[in-house]
Amino acid sequence: MVKAALRRLAYVVFVVWAAVTLSFIASNVLPSDPARMVAGPQARPEDVARIKKDLGLDRPATVRYGLFLSRLLHVSSLPDTDAAHKTCGTLGPLHVDLGKSYQQRRPVLTILGERLPRTLALAVVAVFLQVLFGVSAGAFAAKRRGSAADTATVTASLLGVSAPTFILGLFLQWLLAYRLNLLPLDGFGKTFADHATCIVLPALTLGLFGAAYYTRVVRDEMRAELLRDYVRTARAKGASELGVVRHALANVALPLVTLIALDLGGLVGGAIVTESLFRWPGLGSLSVTAILDRDGPLVQGCVIVTSAAIVVSNMVADGLYGILDPRTRRR
Amino acid sequence: MGADDESLSRRVLREGKTKAGLVLVLVLVLFSAAGPLVSSHDPFASDFTFGISKEQTPLGPSALHWLGTDRIYRDELVRLALGGRLSLAIGLGATAIATAVGALVGMIAGFFEGSVVDVVLMRIVDVILAFPFLLLVMTLGVVFERTTPLTILFTLGLTGWLGTARIVRAKTIGIRSLDFVQAARALGQSTPRLIWLHVVPNVSPLLLVLGTMSVAQMIIAESVLSYLGAGISPPTPTWGHMLFEGQDYYQAAPWILLAPAVTILASVLGFNLLGEGLRDAIEPKR
Repeated sequence: MVKAALRRLAYVVFVVWAAVTLSFIASNVLPSDPARMVAGPQARPEDVARIKKDLGLDRPATVRYGLFLSRLLHVSSLPDTDAAHKTCGTLGPLHVDLGKSYQQRRPVLTILGERLPRTLALAVVAVFLQVLFGVSAGAFAAKRRGSAADTATVTASLLGVSAPTFILGLFLQWLLAYRLNLLPLDGFGKTFADHATCIVLPALTLGLFGAAYYTRVVRDEMRAELLRDYVRTARAKGASELGVVRHALANVALPLVTLIALDLGGLVGGAIVTESLFRWPGLGSLSVTAILDRDGPLVQGCVIVTSAAIVVSNMVADGLYGILDPRTRRR
Repeated sequence: MGADDESLSRRVLREGKTKAGLVLVLVLVLFSAAGPLVSSHDPFASDFTFGISKEQTPLGPSALHWLGTDRIYRDELVRLALGGRLSLAIGLGATAIATAVGALVGMIAGFFEGSVVDVVLMRIVDVILAFPFLLLVMTLGVVFERTTPLTILFTLGLTGWLGTARIVRAKTIGIRSLDFVQAARALGQSTPRLIWLHVVPNVSPLLLVLGTMSVAQMIIAESVLSYLGAGISPPTPTWGHMLFEGQDYYQAAPWILLAPAVTILASVLGFNLLGEGLRDAIEPKR
């Protein structure tokens, strides 16, 4: 048990390390100049050179990579107020250091700490909406198989999975914010009430898009379940139609839970398009600006969070499958 | 084989989804191919005579400009067609690369399941999959400084094969253990020959389905890249870039946004329908 857990942990570390290394290579070795991005297009060559030195970019990439890895997780008795550990996050003597953003001149860890809760909030609301819409629409269509309502649901969900989030998002923005003036166009706001209204459009966009897929999964699975023997037995014993649906749903929950775990993991990394479209200041929009600015440390920070979220959610999905379905449990 | 093929193609065409998808795709291809040739408008020239309103804003749909003019008074329709050539070419080209790489990796990994080769290949897939697709594509796109259609095509092609590789691997493992493959191997057929003669023909229907649906994903990815500012540099129009330009005009000139949005939606829907139709025909109904 402990051995298996350790093995999994090692695997997570490996994948995150590889992904970070990949992003390090992409942002450092390949031809693009972060110093010039910081200095601006009109800067004099000597200014660019000075900034390069400031950012430590005058050293060879291999040296910087070594430094980055050794700083990433190190042990030190000094507090984070010490000059050499200003960019560290500390947990007792354990220090995590992701460096300083080139553009924002702030510790990457601080920036991630600001952005992560907002992205988490968006992910949770979005997944809640997609489960709510997806399961009810899917169960409804399966119950009325072959009817006009079924066909309509299927057509709508096919359209939904074909609509890229930026088109769906633009449409919702136009309809709900511009035309009907019910919600703010975009942004994050200042108070909690602001946040709560600002989150609706991006969450609805992600939720509807995801719901389209969930609808199809739930409908297909439900249709198969409703033909099973236990449903007939339940009906014969006088179960109400609602009770029958509840029985069948319990069996559909298995593939659904796996999907939910995977979706949550993907969304924690940030819904890049949706966050950018609605100017939601989470990890997704952060990654975009970091990449466009060639802000290496910030990109690496984003990649660490994202890849960890994806690997861990994959693992959780696998684990949940084992817990929920005893048949797949390995001895 | 012949009779089997015939029934398959008939089955494919009987699917309503396939027909609808095929019609959508063909219309878009025809429109993109012929549009710039037939139209009397220059896609790169502003029309300051008939394409501009008294208030200096773009003009809506009219008899002269069927879909109106864009933000600098160029004909929207002919630009949509021209953009379609690029968007479709990138979608198809990137899919071709991604499917070829994915099939090769998947078949090799599947055929040597459990070996070092398989483990290494699948770890590579795991790592790149943990890297969000868009982040990866954007990083590569930004690294290339000036993005040409070719860099986008290769970036998408070389990052989009992961899912295909996984599915093909699973399928190959299944095929490898079938009796006739075991028999062929016992008779001393070499590994490349085994793969070519037995695995490839059995995997190709699956590749057709995956490929068709991948075209839709590639069209979306290209649009998203342009939309996020890491796409093909202007003035070359693509659907994604036109959408990006239209976004700021949806109050004054909604057609600039609507035209590319509807076109992207139609093309994605078309390829998805076609892919699902093919899948339903190839796979026995559940």
